[in-house]
Amino acid sequence: MTDILTLVFRTFSSQTSQKQDPSVGPSPPSLRCTTLVVGEHRLSRSVLLLAAVTAASELGIRVSFFAQTRIQSLPVCLQRCSATLNPEGLKKIAFSYPRTLEELLQQVASLHESPSPPSLIIVDGLDGFLRDPVAGSHAGFHSGEESCAAHLSALLCDTAAFLTEVLEQRGSSSAPCRIIASFLLNVDSESRDSSATDPILVVLDRYFQARCTLDQDRSYEAAAAAAQEVWHIYLSGTKSPEDCEDGPALAQEWKLFTFPDGLMEFKLV
Amino acid sequence: MAAPYWLTKCGRPRNKNYVKMRSLLPAVAEQLFRDIRKIYEETTQIPDDLLIALKFVFGSCALQALDLVDQRSVTCLSSPSGRKVFQVIGGSGRLYTCFLSCHYCPCPAFTYTVLRRNQGLLCKHILAVYLCQAMALTQQESVSDQQMSTMLSGTGAP
Repeated sequence: MTDILTLVFRTFSSQTSQKQDPSVGPSPPSLRCTTLVVGEHRLSRSVLLLAAVTAASELGIRVSFFAQTRIQSLPVCLQRCSATLNPEGLKKIAFSYPRTLEELLQQVASLHESPSPPSLIIVDGLDGFLRDPVAGSHAGFHSGEESCAAHLSALLCDTAAFLTEVLEQRGSSSAPCRIIASFLLNVDSESRDSSATDPILVVLDRYFQARCTLDQDRSYEAAAAAAQEVWHIYLSGTKSPEDCEDGPALAQEWKLFTFPDGLMEFKLV
Repeated sequence: MAAPYWLTKCGRPRNKNYVKMRSLLPAVAEQLFRDIRKIYEETTQIPDDLLIALKFVFGSCALQALDLVDQRSVTCLSSPSGRKVFQVIGGSGRLYTCFLSCHYCPCPAFTYTVLRRNQGLLCKHILAVYLCQAMALTQQESVSDQQMSTMLSGTGAP
């Protein structure tokens, strides 16, 4: 799924050369179909929305976007692009707002029944669903946040694998089916040491092949760039078992500049 | 040493509905299942050396999984959409729903041993699925799309 994220970063890059440079291009679609975005929720939601709109309008693929809270508006940079976005493409995004983990599981589980399956499944705010006080109380044998995290992750992965087969059987160019999900770390407020492992994140890492980490820059770079905030974006991941190519695992770094007027610009480091 | 009696009870597999599972195991485990499949197709038995290897790789859940295989506890459910899922009848009679493409089981052993303590690759239910697939002993059953969705979500009655 890092191919779609890389496409997002290129699309909203301020540097023309990065838009055109093929070496900055997306990784082959067979690699890393599941990506976990870890970082501050406001920003990760914006990244997910950019991914949804970019995938639907630029790639023409169907997107299922799941979130606990309603999307009130698109990121400013998308609003500015609304004149150039393909409105037919935007109709390919289906937004769903399950309130609980149980509802999310039911909605993801029923995607196989759809006559027009999505090629991109986005879940915004896994932490909200998994840390829900009633997360462990739905009917079933398992309880505990770790088991719930594993069930949801495995269901997402299995659903993506099935939908990929369906899309390939139909000869669709939209295959494979990809997953992007966001997760906010439960970091100790006194210690910003993110290496203190969140047990849910450890479970999620079993199922997601790639990680996109959003880390705010605390230096003076924002001021120097006349930006409101600067974020480091680290794309990392292991090779999937099906990868036939040799080479290192995924490692890519971008910077994100956000401005007071809401604009966002990405820059490859 | 003769193979345990419960292995010699297994009949010749006739199930042609083999579902290929994605590779999620270490290479040694994958090779072990390939060897089991090959020898079982030829002899309908698993020789001692492979049984020992099974126990070495998977630990104590190997024998428990073989018991489940012997009891024909693994069923592959499929629905009209083409979606498939495995259902395993545990030792206590409870049903556990396991996926095709990645490891997950709702049983306490998977949560505790695999997820929390990272001390095992699989639980006995998932291992039983792998073994039944290798030995072509998986039962087959059809369900409706709605029933499939309920099983996948784990929100139906246990």
